[in-house]
Amino acid sequence: MLRVILYISVFFVPSSPVMGQECSIRLAGHVEESATGEKLIAATIRIKETGSQVVTDKKGDFVFDGLCPGKYTLVISHIGCESIERKILLDKDLHLDLFLIGIHSDLKEVTVDARRGTRNSGFKKELSERQLEQSRGGTLGDALSKINGVTLLQTGSTISKPVIHGLHSNRILTINNGVRQEGQQWGNEHAPEIDPFIADKLVVIKGVDELRYGSDAIGGVVLVEPKALGTNTTKRTEVNAAFFSNNLQYVLSAVHEQSLRKNPNFRYRIQGTFKKGGNAATPYYRLNNTGSEEKNLSLTAGWKKNNFSTELFYSHFSTRIGIFTGAHIGNLTDLINAIGSDRPADIFLGEKTYQIRRPSQEVAHHLIKSKSILQKKEHRFTLQLAGQLNHRKEFDIVRNPSVTRPQMDLQIFTFSEEIIWEHPKKNNFSGMGGISLSQQVNNYSGRYFIPSYTAFSTGAYYIEKWKKHAWDLQAGVRFDDKRINTTRLKFNSDTISYKFHFTTYAASLFAGYSPDNSWQLYASLAFSSRAPHVNELLSDGIHHGTATYEKGDIGLRPEESLHTTVGIRFNHPEGKFGWDLLGYINRINHFIYQQPQPATPVLTISGAFPLITYRQTDATLRGFDASAWIKPVNNIEWVTRYSFLAARNRTTNDWLIWMPANRLSNEWTWQIPGNGSLTNKYVSLEWLHVMQQNRVPDNSVTKQDYKEPPAAYHLLHFNAGTTIQLFKKPVTIGIGIRNLLNTVYRDYLNSMRYFTDEQGINASIRLKIEL
Amino acid sequence: MTMQIKKIFAMFLLLTTVLVSCKKDAHEHNDEEVITTLRVTFAPVGGGNNLVYQYDDADGPGGNQPTKEEIVLQPNKSYNVTLQLLNKTVNPAEDKTDEIRQEGTSHRFYYEPAAGSNITVSGLDNDANGVALGLTSNWVSGAAATGKIKITLRHYGGNPPSKAANDPVNSNKSSTDLEVEFNTKIQ
Repeated sequence: MLRVILYISVFFVPSSPVMGQECSIRLAGHVEESATGEKLIAATIRIKETGSQVVTDKKGDFVFDGLCPGKYTLVISHIGCESIERKILLDKDLHLDLFLIGIHSDLKEVTVDARRGTRNSGFKKELSERQLEQSRGGTLGDALSKINGVTLLQTGSTISKPVIHGLHSNRILTINNGVRQEGQQWGNEHAPEIDPFIADKLVVIKGVDELRYGSDAIGGVVLVEPKALGTNTTKRTEVNAAFFSNNLQYVLSAVHEQSLRKNPNFRYRIQGTFKKGGNAATPYYRLNNTGSEEKNLSLTAGWKKNNFSTELFYSHFSTRIGIFTGAHIGNLTDLINAIGSDRPADIFLGEKTYQIRRPSQEVAHHLIKSKSILQKKEHRFTLQLAGQLNHRKEFDIVRNPSVTRPQMDLQIFTFSEEIIWEHPKKNNFSGMGGISLSQQVNNYSGRYFIPSYTAFSTGAYYIEKWKKHAWDLQAGVRFDDKRINTTRLKFNSDTISYKFHFTTYAASLFAGYSPDNSWQLYASLAFSSRAPHVNELLSDGIHHGTATYEKGDIGLRPEESLHTTVGIRFNHPEGKFGWDLLGYINRINHFIYQQPQPATPVLTISGAFPLITYRQTDATLRGFDASAWIKPVNNIEWVTRYSFLAARNRTTNDWLIWMPANRLSNEWTWQIPGNGSLTNKYVSLEWLHVMQQNRVPDNSVTKQDYKEPPAAYHLLHFNAGTTIQLFKKPVTIGIGIRNLLNTVYRDYLNSMRYFTDEQGINASIRLKIEL
Repeated sequence: MTMQIKKIFAMFLLLTTVLVSCKKDAHEHNDEEVITTLRVTFAPVGGGNNLVYQYDDADGPGGNQPTKEEIVLQPNKSYNVTLQLLNKTVNPAEDKTDEIRQEGTSHRFYYEPAAGSNITVSGLDNDANGVALGLTSNWVSGAAATGKIKITLRHYGGNPPSKAANDPVNSNKSSTDLEVEFNTKIQ
């Protein structure tokens, strides 16, 4: 059945088509394939500045109504076609004929979900361009936390990692430019080793598509996607700069891309970032040794001809992060003392400097990747090879200042090979299968925490999707086999070796139904399993951050998760309001967690340490994310979001520890109408309310936590931005003020909450210049 | 086309081999910060044989249980006491006492006899700034009794350390390096 489709797709926060008294311009057009003249149905046309997008109907036509005059960038994309960008000047109604280059004559990187730009399939949340722009200069975690349902696990203000629906670390896969990131992600104070400026898109996915990356993505998958290399011969240079007032942090990032003049099939890109921040300040005091420094570089080179394309990517990430000196804990008594005082001792406060001393950490991550795509008739084959080296050094406070060595030194090498086959799209079916292999070597020196090991894994998956009329059905399976050989080096050079072998499976089903343009309903059922990580099996040592002695359990079995998701979305056909509701139940059997063992403390020469062992239980995580948006008057948009989570330990019938508290946020944006030299002007105010976490394990029987969860808090954030033309080049200026009221607060998921308040007011200015 | 893929694959394998062979047998040095043994030597004032008591955890934190000797002293006697710190996880064992002495301005020992132990500790040696360090001290025993004494080594992590004479043992300027509680007996 043919039907006229006009999707107004909303990824996450619906951005507004600009409206106003003079905002009544109509932009219409027609999209076809350039070589064949075929009308392109369901091509996406997105206005970059506003984020609004439409999809072409069966005649290849599209229309935007109610646009303000101004300069816009259109991004036109279609399955199997090269996306193109078109800059337009809009002062009256306009009709455009747009031509896309088909897959037969050119190749393009497509993400897993080929229907990008149309409605989401299942749980897929993406940062809007504006949200990404507002988070420039911050950490990757900061950016991701703008997504409803994603929170942060922090150590101070410089180390943060994403938590998706209560799960983090080994339960989330981070895919950096198509490669599964392999660092020391098991640690709570080990942040993802990725330059956020690499990302052109940040996406969180769950469901069928995550099978491509592993059977162990119980929490979800984070995709960090750079811009695909362009195809035309133009040069592109972009410079980003930012300054933050609170810790005097400055950031400079630049990217340049061009093709070789002699050989236009060859194109390259070079990108680099430098970031340096000083000591951070809370409303009442500045914290010594909380500075950070980051130096990143990446190179991309691509060559494409006819039906073959290949790309080589290298990135180097390096960071140095100071850990607040007042949080260095010698033993349990110290921890209790530190927790007991309202503020840290004065000698750990007040220095306004960039200097980083012990305790600190230094992390370097190298990634080299080669990816080749061959299109044979309608089949597409991808071969991807990647090598990663992650080197993490942790520097403790030492007695002898002449010691320059780190006290913990971990190196992990990972090599991975992946081959993917995508079958021709036929009879509304599309699908892909793949095999992935990886080899890993981990070494340590210094203090023992996890052993040296080698790991080998083999995985295979198959995904099939069917889409017709209002229906969208997807299914996939995956199998993984993992072998870990450890050489467990303990003191006195006693070596004990262990071999592990885990086989894990995953399967996923998804059904979506969209009866008309406004409604979308979907449900998914996913089974995934995760082999225990080496730290859960074999860690053995003092964890200085929490003054605990952590011990792994060699007998752990894989975790098994059954995840049910249902969702419903509505968007008013004229863009006046909409809402989105997603509910989930994640039943995880053999859930691995840390259980305090108060009866058997570990005696050391520095006193007794509480013992914490890795245990397994059955857990259930229930929650929902709700959001709604409305435009009460023209140019004003109000978005409200609420996220709720209840995480139970079913075996002990108690709550799980370290789960994010429920939160409510409201954001008002005024898209300022008017033309002139300033375009795309907006101001926005966000009010965030984080509730107190009352769902914590019963502390009366076994001491599970040293301090009560902090009180609820309210924060106000301000943002504004505009684009001006300077010397005929567009310059985007953004201003942000985080914690506008300089509120004193502590967050349950920040391990520094035992010692210090959170960062106070932080004003920032950001510049983006396209040369 | 396939040649291209083969070439890339070959180059990659080569790179892999090079990287793997480079890193092999990275030297795994031990944790040099660890202290396993606190040895307390008592020299009776006015002559007599030295007494030595120790806390010993030869394999470091975790693993085997540490051993702790009971300090047995004669009544109504004065002793010159010297501390020695060892790291026995390396062979031969390393003496860490000098390290503490050199970094005396950011370290301090505290001696806390429990009530009824009949032990008084005084005469602690000083660091370069004239503030108590406590690597050596003078212990005076009273009448026969059993009790406990806690010896704590605190480390000042600040820069400068800001160590001051009247800092209590649980000062929030310093953190614990060692904390050993010996049982004592005067007989």
